[in-house]
Amino acid sequence: MTAALKPSSTKAAAQGPVIAELCNITKTFSVAGGRELKVLDQIDLAIHEGELLALLGQSGSGKSTLLRCLTGLTAPTSGRVMAYDKVLDGINPYASIVFQTFALYPWLTVEQNVAVGLMAKLLTRAEKEAAVEKAIDLIGLNNYHDAYPREISGGMRQRVGIARALVAEPKILCLDEAFSALDVLTAENLRNEVVTLWKEQATSLKSIFMVTHNIEEAVEMATRICVLFPHPGRLGLVMENNLAYPRNPHDQEFERLVNVIHDTITMQALPDHPPEPAPVSGRPISRARARLESIPTVPVGRVLGLLSILQDHPELDNIYDIANEIGKDYGETISLVKAAEILEFVDTPKDEVRFTELGKKFMDADSDTRKKIFAEQVQKLRLFHIILGYLEVQEEIDRETVMKDISTALPYENPEKILETMIAWGRYAGLMDYDANTEMVTRPEEEEEEEEEEEKTEVGG
Amino acid sequence: MKSTATQLGTAEIGRTFSWVDLVILLSVFGLAWTILHFGHGMTVHFDEGQSPEISTDVRNIPYYAGRTVLRMWIAFGFSLLFTFAVGYAAAKNRVARSIILPALDILQSVPVLGFLSITVTGFMALFPGSLLGVECASIFAIFTGQVWNMAFGFYHSMVTIPNDLQEAATNFRLSPWQRFGTLEVPSSMHSLIWNSMMSFGGGWFFVAQSEAITVLNKNIKLPGLGSYMATAVEKGDNTAAVWAIIAMLAVILASDQFVWRPLLAWADKFKMELVESGQAPQSWLYSFLRRAYIFPWIEEKILRPLADAFVQLKKNTSAIKLIPENPRKLAGRWIPRILGVVAGCWLAYQVVLGVIAAVDAVYNHISWGQFGHLCFLGSLTMGRVTLMTIVATLIWTPIGVWIGSRPDIARFAQPFAQIAASFPVNMTFPFVVGFFVAAHIGINWGSILLIAMGTQWYILFNVIAGAMAIPSDLKEAAKTYRLSRWAIWRVLILPAIFPFWVTGACTAAGGAWNASIVAELATWGNTTLRADGLGAYIAEVTQKGDTPMIICSIAVMCIFVVLTNKLVWRRLYGYAEKRFHLD
Repeated sequence: MTAALKPSSTKAAAQGPVIAELCNITKTFSVAGGRELKVLDQIDLAIHEGELLALLGQSGSGKSTLLRCLTGLTAPTSGRVMAYDKVLDGINPYASIVFQTFALYPWLTVEQNVAVGLMAKLLTRAEKEAAVEKAIDLIGLNNYHDAYPREISGGMRQRVGIARALVAEPKILCLDEAFSALDVLTAENLRNEVVTLWKEQATSLKSIFMVTHNIEEAVEMATRICVLFPHPGRLGLVMENNLAYPRNPHDQEFERLVNVIHDTITMQALPDHPPEPAPVSGRPISRARARLESIPTVPVGRVLGLLSILQDHPELDNIYDIANEIGKDYGETISLVKAAEILEFVDTPKDEVRFTELGKKFMDADSDTRKKIFAEQVQKLRLFHIILGYLEVQEEIDRETVMKDISTALPYENPEKILETMIAWGRYAGLMDYDANTEMVTRPEEEEEEEEEEEKTEVGG
Repeated sequence: MKSTATQLGTAEIGRTFSWVDLVILLSVFGLAWTILHFGHGMTVHFDEGQSPEISTDVRNIPYYAGRTVLRMWIAFGFSLLFTFAVGYAAAKNRVARSIILPALDILQSVPVLGFLSITVTGFMALFPGSLLGVECASIFAIFTGQVWNMAFGFYHSMVTIPNDLQEAATNFRLSPWQRFGTLEVPSSMHSLIWNSMMSFGGGWFFVAQSEAITVLNKNIKLPGLGSYMATAVEKGDNTAAVWAIIAMLAVILASDQFVWRPLLAWADKFKMELVESGQAPQSWLYSFLRRAYIFPWIEEKILRPLADAFVQLKKNTSAIKLIPENPRKLAGRWIPRILGVVAGCWLAYQVVLGVIAAVDAVYNHISWGQFGHLCFLGSLTMGRVTLMTIVATLIWTPIGVWIGSRPDIARFAQPFAQIAASFPVNMTFPFVVGFFVAAHIGINWGSILLIAMGTQWYILFNVIAGAMAIPSDLKEAAKTYRLSRWAIWRVLILPAIFPFWVTGACTAAGGAWNASIVAELATWGNTTLRADGLGAYIAEVTQKGDTPMIICSIAVMCIFVVLTNKLVWRRLYGYAEKRFHLD
């Protein structure tokens, strides 16, 4: 396999007419506490005829929202959506969506589910049957006509989703994480078929717009890749990918592209800071203390798991290898590493991951000492001072107040998720507790009462 | 429902006409003739002076049963229409929702039976000189007894349709009708059928009660099983009364076998989950119908050409008016809004008029002392309802759990409990009252038993359902830790069945208020037993036709019901949802 460029076709494609375009799109949602959460910020993005555009982003970066703006399922808060040269009003008639969850109707057979894509069209039954048959044939669903979705495998279900989208004769096919609910082999197979469909132009289909968090998937399929940075969602890297199909993941150029994207995401999520100022009188100053920094919304157990894997496998020194080892995608791995970094257990020059002295000490400690170290580190985080400050002067503080403070401090984050994570970390550190019945964050209970608390949890669960 | 017809047309179904189709055709014609035959009786001349005579001849039972069943189905048809219209409006329109939901909430706590005298006079004025007025009042009573919970259920399943399924329908630009038929009705189908079955079961109580009523000191009897029973009791004809009960049981069983079981078997595919479920409901009639060729034939030879012709027609017309798209769109947006505002204003005007009239009527008629007396009577009835709920819970919870943890018994017992709950116990009241008289039991205590006879079943089958839903891993865990019997109950069983118990007890208590109107004033031949309570009071003023007092007493009962709902049941629901939810 050569890494030959395919200049003629892709270049022409990039200059083809624009099918759909987002012009200066901003989207905000209202979240708990009556606040506005900005999910997309001033996005400009055009999809041309003939291209396969991939939008990469971590979960929560707003990529699904972007797809919904493009297809007309949600209206942007400000900005325009264009469908060819008209301003879009309502549903984009040129776009069909393939859903991550398949979104098939359980009470309809495969054939009937595919026919749903035709409902908006005025066709006689015979015409409809012919169109459905053609789509079923094209996507390899023969002999499944009368099966119900619950009787067939995930891969087959997604084929039905694709057939239903194609039968509507769209110009642009929108894949919303279409392969992420499938197992590895099925997904790989289906990805190839989708690329073939698009390349052969056997249908009305001109372009594909896919939203994914899987970097390899994007590089394997797309002619152009955009990376969406989170909080709020904005376009980071945009790059062409002119590799010839079928693409080989072990190809040098392929690997280079993957690395470029890795580096971009890493630099955004884990920027290298200037060295910290020297500790003053025994009380170290964390950089998170100087600047109010958000925390990645990951459970404590996973951070500990990551640390113990790092300890067992000293040879794992960059994020990419770690992601492979733990079987998580790159975005999630970065979140875990970032959590460990904020707690000062690891250091991350570029995309390397190294234990700090504190991290080594933490790993060697027994569980009580670990808790103590964890609590010290959490106390250094300014975000936690929101809650700890309240708990210094009063027994408990209600969830709503804390959420309001969080969303003031971190306007682009979802305060509910942040608070959930803070409570989980705070509980492990023994710094706070939460009563779901009263919705109050409380001071932790004294040691002797702990046993009773455990029993209660058991009953409730 | 386009989809179903196509499904019947596929797979293992016969390809030619057979005797199955003949049987189905004959049944359809038979059914049509029966409806006409019984329906004819509904419009006969009626004179307030002499209501139609009910004969206690056993040979007349099939006719009377037919009339009763017809009434039930007409009421159910209206309930279904109302459910779709109101549930849809509430789910789709924010303004409509803010009016409909509280209104439904109040309406479902109103004791329907109390209104019977008012509605009867109203409907009789609407159809002077025809029995249709009384028929309508009876049908209306059944309708109000069953519709609210169906409408609530439909609304609830409409708003819980998974987001991705909605987005798919939007993305493929389904019209509102297509969306309704392809997505909204199918996804609510399962709960709609269950709720309908429950409501229909509850309807038998109202039909039996509303067929023989005393309004304005006049006895009005509609031909039906309920009035047959009443006449038999009046005449002291025990044989006829027993026959009436048997006929009622047969009719309830037939509705179950011929309508609800087949529907449940058919609706199994409308379950939301994408995994194969354990055991699908079976119905012999559904299996039988699936063997018929007539349905695919109708689909192929009639529906298909019709649909194609319709498409052709639409193509032709849409070709003509392509350009004036915008004005139509504007009109399409504004016309329903204006209509809605007009209808809303009219409705509000009528309500205000009604309230003014009611307040005026009440104002001059009732003193604070009388009102205080009503509240005292209300608390007596409330005491009965509470006692009934507690005793029924204590008795049926262990039995329900015992049944629920033995699947083979539960499979047999659950439909039985449902039928028991459907049976209009008010038909058996005369016998029980006779027993009270013979055994010298006071009606003040005895009425508690009468109330319980109708409503305890809701507690039982909800507890059974709860016990059946306990995950087996939790049970095994309890066994592994060798918990004592009491510990298992405290840690596992009680928390697990609590949400189900709340549903059952709330329904039972709600039904108990209605039942108190019948139970606190009971007649056996010439003996009338009267308990102290709001129910008896309402029954009495209804018979006398004292409108201001009817309004007052019902208002007091409504206040009691609404307050207990808000203060007790709503909180218990919330607590159950939060603490004991198993997923």
